[in-house]
Order: sequence, then structure tokens, then C-alpha cells
Amino acid sequence: MTEPTTRATRDAEPAQRHTSLSTAPREPQLPQLGPLGLARWAWRQLTSMRTALFLLLLLSVAAVPGSVFPQRNIDAGRVSDYLAQNPTTGPWLDRLGFFDVYASPWFSAIYLLLFVSLIGCILPRTRQHVKALRSTPPRAPARLARLDEHVEVTTTLPPDEALAAARAALRGKRFRVHSHDTTTVSGESGYLRESGNLLFHLALTGIIVGMAVGHLFGWRGDLILPEGDDFASSATTYNTFSPGPLVGEDAVPGFVMTLDDLDVDFIETPGRSFGTPREFTAHVTVADEPGGPTREADIAVNHPLVIKGADVFLLGNGYTPVITVRDAAGEVLYREATPFLAQDGNYRSVGVVKVPSASPKQLGFTGFFLPTAEPSFANGPVSIFPDAQNPELALSVWEGTLFPGGAPQSVYTLNTEQMTQVPGDDGQPTLVRLKPGETFELPGGRGSITFDEVKRFAGLSIRTDPGAPISLVSALLATLGLILGLTVKRRRVFVRVRPAEATGDTGAPATVVTVGGLSKDADPGLAAIVRAIGAAAQDPHAERTDRS
Amino acid sequence: MTPSIATILAPQLTPTVDEASLALASNANMALYASMIAYTLAMLMFAWHLAARSAQVAATETADREEVLVGSAGTTGAGSSSAGGPVSSAAGLTESGQESEASRQRGNIALMLTYLATALLVGSVVLRGFAVARPPWGNMFEFATASAAAVGLTYSVLAKRNRWQWLGVFIVSPVLLTLGLSLAVLYTEAGELMPALKSYWLAIHVGVAFISVGFFTIAAAIGMVYLVRLRREEKPPAKRSFIESLPSSAALERTAYSLNMVAFILWTFTLIAGSIWAKQAWGAYWQWDPKEVWTFVIWTVYAAYMHGRATAGVDLRRSMYIALVGFVCVIINFTLVNLVSTFVGMHNYSGM
Repeated sequence: MTEPTTRATRDAEPAQRHTSLSTAPREPQLPQLGPLGLARWAWRQLTSMRTALFLLLLLSVAAVPGSVFPQRNIDAGRVSDYLAQNPTTGPWLDRLGFFDVYASPWFSAIYLLLFVSLIGCILPRTRQHVKALRSTPPRAPARLARLDEHVEVTTTLPPDEALAAARAALRGKRFRVHSHDTTTVSGESGYLRESGNLLFHLALTGIIVGMAVGHLFGWRGDLILPEGDDFASSATTYNTFSPGPLVGEDAVPGFVMTLDDLDVDFIETPGRSFGTPREFTAHVTVADEPGGPTREADIAVNHPLVIKGADVFLLGNGYTPVITVRDAAGEVLYREATPFLAQDGNYRSVGVVKVPSASPKQLGFTGFFLPTAEPSFANGPVSIFPDAQNPELALSVWEGTLFPGGAPQSVYTLNTEQMTQVPGDDGQPTLVRLKPGETFELPGGRGSITFDEVKRFAGLSIRTDPGAPISLVSALLATLGLILGLTVKRRRVFVRVRPAEATGDTGAPATVVTVGGLSKDADPGLAAIVRAIGAAAQDPHAERTDRS
Repeated sequence: MTPSIATILAPQLTPTVDEASLALASNANMALYASMIAYTLAMLMFAWHLAARSAQVAATETADREEVLVGSAGTTGAGSSSAGGPVSSAAGLTESGQESEASRQRGNIALMLTYLATALLVGSVVLRGFAVARPPWGNMFEFATASAAAVGLTYSVLAKRNRWQWLGVFIVSPVLLTLGLSLAVLYTEAGELMPALKSYWLAIHVGVAFISVGFFTIAAAIGMVYLVRLRREEKPPAKRSFIESLPSSAALERTAYSLNMVAFILWTFTLIAGSIWAKQAWGAYWQWDPKEVWTFVIWTVYAAYMHGRATAGVDLRRSMYIALVGFVCVIINFTLVNLVSTFVGMHNYSGM
């Protein structure tokens, strides 16, 4: 390894091109390229800098569709909408992975190839760099005046003292120095450039390892918690629980949490920001284990709560109107804080009430909760402000079989396959409109439905990601490596002394000192260093006072 | 918003923005207008400066021709005969400090005007920050003005030392365009932040992103000039212009690379800071939200540029094309991704 920079060491291709320029006959050589040779050729191609460059560009192009098409990992609902709106192209895009770009085989293939290429490149480079770190700077070239930067000075010091002074000055500038003979000194600095390069690339693989660890050992549970309700954490109690493939059952901490209160605040000043949120804070009481001591805590956006290694995030909120359904005799069939999910910025929310115990037929209600209802319903049920200023429920009533075939279904949708809408006295489908405290008598002695009160819910997400610290440390190391690799200059400086020709008087120059410097890339700082070394060899004392 | 809202919410509607904030915000706008006037004058002055350079190049050319006619009699001064051909002698025009008096004066006046305009713009951003009592980049309008201020500031800091008077017109005009568009299309009253943005990471993550964009912008401007300069060096045009008075294409390329390098490091930091913040706000440090995707795309494209430049086989012109594609991505990231509903993601801060 004699090349001072990465330019030639990484790229194997110029060497290949030289061999192909040779006049040796190529035809007879080709058939001899056996499987091993082919593999070696493929490996060399893959680990070449050009391939890395191409894969990087390909990766950036491949990432773009994920920002244009809706993605399942961000919003599965928008994917379904897209598929419904584009019945011809949609399924094809789906088959090609355009709605799961970052988990698709083609995207994975690109980044895996990129990382194989990266590892294949940095391993030999690391070996070379270690060798370079152990070796001494090379012998000074014959004519230093031919180097990019050079000076020649004369001094009254004898040659060996001038050389020693130059050597000390090089050491002071953190050059590694070595004298191959008594009249020269070779200095080399900037090994950190390649160290930084290698650190950067190695740390990038660390980020990927961190991501993989997080994927395998991390888990995430989401839940909707109405105000006043308790939640006991376990793998089975979350609304949705997504463990990594290697997560054990006991990985989920069994804490208990009560949502005492959810503070929300929306901007009420007219203007562009009218109705935009100002604050969300969940006040909770937490016990690390059931029956254990409790403590109060707040969870807000940007301020997650840590419970036994799991982070609790407040990621959403909405309304859970408390709804009671009674039969004709006044017996309570259903009483629950029922979550309605917000559909827009003004929290027009949809939800479902399922009453399987109703008779003679099961009852189902589906419709909207409007925190601030526009009273006329001229454009249908619309909310005009996100806070609960004028709450109203608007529901349609269905009867029949709630769970046809006993198949599992979402709590937020009503399967009306085997249900019919309950007609009112006028024969039109019944529309239930309720304000808090109001009761609606269902037609035909089917009982009644009451809107008791409005409660809010907090959408909480509890997550662990054991890989995150690995990724973070790797990312910081990568930045450090990047800065070193890009800013440190690999320099070589050579010094040669020879006795001056005329040595008559005392005080006449005794020694001629030649300093030459070499740097691979553009390096405006090199000239100053070469001059400084020359000055130090000329008068080491002056140099020292300069520095102090 | 439907009109009936007023009837329902009338009792609750109370002004929450106090007088002092309003006064600060209106002062911020005054400073912004003043800055735009100063930038306009600077732009005209920069253009006039380039005109002086063109005239001088033409004069040098005539001198060179005469010299060729006279032969090597050595009667012409200014050392242009020793510089080896018309192109390089013109290139030496700035390097050897033989810029004409008119050109230098106009360039320096333009630079002064740019300093003034940038100071006003930075002042406007700072006032806006005081008016809203938070980092002044919480919506698109503030975003656009702050990034324009970052570009102006980066240029102002570097211009004098590097003698970038010739670059001014290419920097000031996009800055002016951004400011005009942001006032006309994106203007938002001074207001509060939505909860997702209330974090000190806003200052760090977005602040560094702006500085990075400042460097990317100047590097891209120099990169484009480099491509023109290079083409004209390879095929000298019949009629020469101010382009021939600029530093050599090799020097321009090196400068663009240094600036892109600084920007790339800052962008890497932006990416990491954003991930840390995302972990705090959304619970996961990377979710391929459109803004994250484009930040990543920009990073990869510029990484490809850095690799291309370090590879012996890839020519510098092609590397520069990659860098310019990267800059197009920067622009997309700051415009389309924020404004077009196709790119709905968590950076949109709606429907929380």
C-alpha cells in the first residue's frame, strides 16, 4: 500500500483496465474462467466503487415510490382507499410491492447488495490500512523540488542539527517521521483520514445491525384508553400487539396504568390556525406491577413516559361517548365508553355499538360522533371544531345477525351483510340524534339508547426497541468517521540537507535544506506546512517562539 | 370553516395573541420588505458587475488579437502574453487582481447591499422568533424565510474572502424569488406551535438543516457555473463573456466540492437529529414517512456524488450532475413534500 488516499485503493478497476490494455491474447483465456474465476470476477464487480455508486443511486430512486404511494406501515386505510379507487392498476402495484416499498424484495435486494459491497470493500481496505499504520514513511524522492510544494532555505546550523530541527518540527505537527539515511527525513500524517473512512463505513453496518436487533427483539402494543379506565399490561391486553419474532411472552412488563385525565387545548382564535391543537397531555397513575405502589405521571407529545424499560407514547386521542342501550323493560344490555375514531381535523369520528344480547334480533348502531356539531346537518353530519363544544351522536340502527358465521371482525365496523335498517314510524330508516343526557326510544318496542356523557380517550403506544442505542451510537460514530475521512488530509513531507558550497566565514550558511510536500487531493494547507518546516530547520529557536 | 361557527362559539372567542407579539410580528414583516428591496438592488448591482466583467473580457480579447497580429514584440503589457492563450489569460484576470475599477466597485457595492439585505432578513427572522416565542420555523412561511436567510447568511459570510462577487446574482435571485413566493403564497400569521413541534429538537434539527441547505444552494450555484465554464473551456465560444473572467473550471469544481462536503456532513447530522426527535415524538426513529424518505434520498444522492468524486474512473462533470440532481431533491423536499397532499405523512402535523 503506497497510495496515500482512497482514490486508487478502493477502485480495483483501473488495474483491470491496464491488464486489458496488454497485448496478451484474450480469446484463449476466457474459457479458462471457471466457476471460481467467475465468482471472483463477480465479487470484484460487486465490491468496486462504481457498483457502490450505482447501487447508491438505485437506492435513492427506489426509495421515492414509498413517499408517493400510500404505505401500509404508515396508513393502511389510505392503501385500501387507493386500491378501491384504482381497481386496474392498484392490484398490480400491490403485487409489485409499491405499498410496502421498504419491505419489498427489490428494495431489500438493493440495500443488501449495497452492504455486501460495502463490507467487501472495507475488509481489504482495513487490512491495507493496518499494514500502512505499521509501516514507516517511504524514502524521500531524489528531487524534492519536483513535488507539489517545496522550499529551499539555507541555515548556519550544521546539517545534522538542521535535520534534527526539521524532524522535531514535523513531530510537532503530528507527522510520523523516519530517516532512511543520514541526510533525509520522511514524514507522513493524516492516517486518520483512512481510519475515519473505515469507521464511517463500519458504523453504517452498525446502524443496520441496530435496526435488525430492534426488529427481532422489539415489540409494540397500541391501546385506546378512555378517561377513568385502568389498563393492565400484558401480551394479550393490548388492542394490537406486534412482537418481534424473537420476543418472549415474559418480555412485556406487567404494569398497571389509569388514565386520570386527558388535557387537550385547541386554538380558538379565528384565523388560519383556528382549530389546530395546542396541547395534549395525559395525566396517568402508574403502578409498576399490579398492587404495587402507584405514582402519578404525565405523558405528552414529545414527552414519553418510561415504565420498566418500555416507552409509553401519546400518539393519538379522540372521544369515547358513554352509551347505554336498554331493552323494552329497562334492563341495561350495553353500557360502555365506546371509542369513536377521528376522521378529520375537527374530529368527526366514526364508531359502532354492537348489542348481541338484544332480542328478538341483535341490534347494531353505526354512525358519527361530532364534538362540535354543525346543527343544521345541511351537509350531513359535520363537526366544525375539534373540542367538545356542542357534542352530538348521529347513528343509524340495524337489526339482524351481528357476527355472521361467527367470524372475527373489527370493533370499529358493523358487518351489515345479514342486517337490515330499523324503519321509523314513517317507514324511513331511523336516524338517532342524541346530545349528552338524552335518550332515544327505539321504534317497535326495541328498547332505548342513551348518550350518558362524553369522555376522551388517549391513543397510547408502548414500545421497546433494544436496537435503538446500537443504531444511535453507530450513527454518531459514522458522523465522526465522515468528518475525519473528509477533512483530514493525508500528507507526506520530505526534508533533505546538504552542506552549503561556500563555508568560508563564520556566520555564512553552512547547510542547504530542501523541503518537499505531497498531498493527493487539493490541499491549500500544505504550502504553509512546507514553509513552516523549512523555517524550523533554518532557525529552530524562532520556530519555537512562534508556537508559544 | 363554515360561517355558522361564529354563532356557536361566539362566547369562547377571545383574542389570545397579545399586543406586543403583534407589534413584533409586524416589525418582522417590515424588515422582510426592506430586505427584499435591498436584495433587489443588490441583484441589479451584481448583474451590472457581470456586465463590467464582460466588457473587460471583450477588451482583453481585442488586446490578445492585436498582440497576435503584432507578434511576440512584447509591446503589450499586463503580462497576458505569458499566460498561454486567451482563455487562461482571461481567467487570470481575477486571480491576478487585475479586475477593472468599474467591475470591482460595482461588485463591492452589490456585496454591501447583500450584507444589508441579509442583516434585515436575519433580523426579520429573529423578530418573528420573539413574536412567537419559539424558533421561528414552525410553518411553511417561516420555513421559507428562514432557509432564504440561511442561504443569504452563508453567502455573506463566505463571499468576501473567496471573492464571490461574480456569484452574487445566482444567489440573490433565488433568495428573492423564495421570499416573494413565501409572502405571496405561504404567508401565515404569527401563531403557536402544534404540540408535535414543541421540542428543543426543533431548533437543533431544523436549524442545522437550514445551514446545510445554505451550503447546498451555494454549491449548486457554483456547480452550474462550473458546467458552463467547463463547456466553454473545451469549446471556446466565438463571443466571450463574463464566464471567461471567472476562476478556472477546476477551481470552481474544487470549491463546489468543499461546500457540498460541509453540507453533506451537516445533512448527516440533520438526519440523525431528526431520528432522535422522531423517537421522542412518534416512538420510532425511522418510519419512512415522506419527509424521512426524501431526507434519505438527498443523503444517498450526495453520498453517490462524494463516491463519484473519489473514484478515479468517474469524471468530475458526471459527479457534478449527480450533485445537481441531489439539489433538485433538496428543493423537492422543501416544497412538494410539504405542500402536495400525495406526500401525506407525519411531518404534516394534521389530524393529530
